Amino acid sequence: MKTVFVNPERCIGCKQCQIACAVEHSQSKALYQAVFEEPIPRPRVLVAPGLYLDTSFPNKCRHCDPAPCMTVCPTGAISRDMSMGIVLVDEQKCIACAMCAMVCPFDVITFYTMWTKLAAIKCDHCIERQSRGEIPACVEACKTGALVFGDINELVKSARTKLAQSLSVAVIEMDSETARIPAHVEAWRSMGEAVSTIGVEE
Amino acid sequence: MANKKDLSIQRSVDPATQYMLRIAEEQNIETAWDRLEAQQPQCGYGELGLCCRHCNMGPCRIDPFDETGPQKGVCGATADTMVARGLLRAIAAGAAAHSDHGRDIAHTFLLTAEGKSGGYEIKDETKLMALAKEYDIKTNKRSKEEIALDLAHAIHNEFGNQTGPIRFTRRAPEKRVALWEELGIDPRGVDREIVECMHRTHIGVDHDYVHIILHGLRTSISDGWGGSMIATELSDVLFGTPQPIKSMANLGVLSKDMVNIVAHGHEPTLSEMIVAASQDPELVKLSKEKGAEGINVVGMCCTGNEILMRHGIPIAGNFLQQELAIITGAVEAVIVDVQCIMPALPDLASCYHTEIISTSPKAKFPGATHIEFNEEGALDIAKQIVQKAVENYPDRDPDRVNIPNEKTEALVGFSVEAIVDALGGTLDPLLDAIKSGAIRGIAGVVGCNNPKVRHDYGHLKLVEELIKNNVLVLNTGCNAIACAKAGLMLPEAAEKAGEGLKGVCKALGVPPVLHMGSCVDISRILVAAAAIANALGVDISDLPVAGAAPEWMSEKAVSIGTYVVSSGIYTVLGTVPQVLGSPNVTELLTAGAEGVIGATFAVEPDPEKAAALMIQRIDEKRKGLGI
Repeated sequence: MKTVFVNPERCIGCKQCQIACAVEHSQSKALYQAVFEEPIPRPRVLVAPGLYLDTSFPNKCRHCDPAPCMTVCPTGAISRDMSMGIVLVDEQKCIACAMCAMVCPFDVITFYTMWTKLAAIKCDHCIERQSRGEIPACVEACKTGALVFGDINELVKSARTKLAQSLSVAVIEMDSETARIPAHVEAWRSMGEAVSTIGVEE
Repeated sequence: MANKKDLSIQRSVDPATQYMLRIAEEQNIETAWDRLEAQQPQCGYGELGLCCRHCNMGPCRIDPFDETGPQKGVCGATADTMVARGLLRAIAAGAAAHSDHGRDIAHTFLLTAEGKSGGYEIKDETKLMALAKEYDIKTNKRSKEEIALDLAHAIHNEFGNQTGPIRFTRRAPEKRVALWEELGIDPRGVDREIVECMHRTHIGVDHDYVHIILHGLRTSISDGWGGSMIATELSDVLFGTPQPIKSMANLGVLSKDMVNIVAHGHEPTLSEMIVAASQDPELVKLSKEKGAEGINVVGMCCTGNEILMRHGIPIAGNFLQQELAIITGAVEAVIVDVQCIMPALPDLASCYHTEIISTSPKAKFPGATHIEFNEEGALDIAKQIVQKAVENYPDRDPDRVNIPNEKTEALVGFSVEAIVDALGGTLDPLLDAIKSGAIRGIAGVVGCNNPKVRHDYGHLKLVEELIKNNVLVLNTGCNAIACAKAGLMLPEAAEKAGEGLKGVCKALGVPPVLHMGSCVDISRILVAAAAIANALGVDISDLPVAGAAPEWMSEKAVSIGTYVVSSGIYTVLGTVPQVLGSPNVTELLTAGAEGVIGATFAVEPDPEKAAALMIQRIDEKRKGLGI
């Protein structure tokens, strides 16, 4: 199974994945035109801040199987593309009841007005790009390796450390030898923790 | 191999550049094009101007796609404020670069007037007297040194002028000056406006995008009609006003058998002395002892334009060819001062025998040899630098020398004075040709190279379209070098022009594309536009003229574009400025400005469409003038 694997310790919060995602889901597929489009294209990967300053996590649909959202959708708007295992939303069938959002373990389903009606919007795993043999736009945009694309087992194997499975707290506690990030980035992040905790009352 | 060839063709239209890119690929040498590829995709926030790093509550970004995302910076700055502030800082940096160049020339001029400079002299007394008159300096029964000293002090004061006006701004038509005054954008001094840009864009100062941009116009005017014009005028006094001269352009000007020295950067104070030092008999003799057939100085970028215009020193190429010159393996030294010099050069040079010699007290490059230049010991220092290059000749590896064959003849050196001379001492023949329609209009085409655009394609396609439609092209900088390489600066290039322009060129024996100099010499285009407007009794914004920067990349180009528009000239940009994140700022620059300043920007990456926009503008203006 191919997936977008997230290495949160490498995310610097630049949000380039968000921009690339929105552009990929625009009509023009070009930034300078996309910002003027109606409806405005929306990002489906969202970088959420971690516990401390300078920690963040690019969050997106994990394309679960079985997918809770698909199970609860009353109109059959959510389906799975069997060839690639991608969970897709049919905006026309969506009645914006938000059941999918309630059961989503990752809170990655948002609602936007598309043309005339409100609809659930989420990551489609760049199905169009993948069918052309390209990697998802968010992964292509990521300059730090926070987002990587490939076979899940291979990715997990190569990233099998405590770090890769934990979020901001663990990132701060990692010693620099196992963190595999440059010392100056480490120092920067520890400053982020200091700035956001010093002087704060319990 | 087929693929490699394709890549080089995609990257440039210039055969010499394509050849060198293939060599670079064979030798696994990285160039700016490869680095651009490594940067892809570039940051959308930055491209849209929606990122602000002006204070440490940030960096802040505004989400262009999701109104539930941040729509204001921490301080509350909106997209309009952020984009306008970013633009103002770019204008400040560009104006600072040009004007500091002007200051350096003014400094050399002052030292020369004081008799303290080592090797400089006043070469154009006519211009000295004209400038003295413009500055109300007494010339009667005074020596040229006395006059020069007064002029030098007067011009120095323009930088610190607090109240304005800057004298050269009064070369603009009265209507234009009155408009600047009415809008409150008549600059008060060169340095003051730049400092105020930095103040206004500090956290918590100026937040109204219209107000911010109006100051941008004021700052840019202090560049075009101030710092840049000072650089041009005093360079002419010190080194001579350019007159038509033939030379050669492209990498083929590098010599297989001579010591090759590339003078790269911007200020003629250095390159003039390098040219002089390279003719020193002792050094020429030394070069022969080292096995070379002599010393071959060639230019690169705008300092190359300066010595090309005044001495006919061949020019090796424009901005994107600086790395390629080193990859020829035939360059003993690249001598640099300031602006547009890639910090990539020393690393690249370490793959060859080439020495990168930095000279400016303002600019050092890790990995380069620094031999600091000053005016007092100018010629001696220049000789020391040239000697270092000569002594490097034996380290050249002849097996690694790959000089492309391409070099093209060009007739250059068209200062305003030279154009008036070519016209027989008056502008009238030009005005008549414009009125009759033989010349449909005039375009100023300028600016850089940018690897986002196929090298030289934007420049050449646009210029060819313009001349084909009887638009006379005045150009400077990297556009001029592109046109020189492509043979558009030969009188025979008139064959590529429309019938009307062809006739005029043939009658005068000039090319349809006139090389007016370096990027500070865009001030010459302003002077020409003002002279034409004054002769017709109209404002510059009434003239059938247009500007373009098809491959621009530098902050200097942002300032240039802004002062050209502020002067009333419609300007088409070939690459997208970092402003589209604010629809309001975009609208102001591309439409609203028309009602304020009588001109706008347009963005059009396709050079054929850009030419069509310019011609449409020219035709509208012709109609307005009733011609």
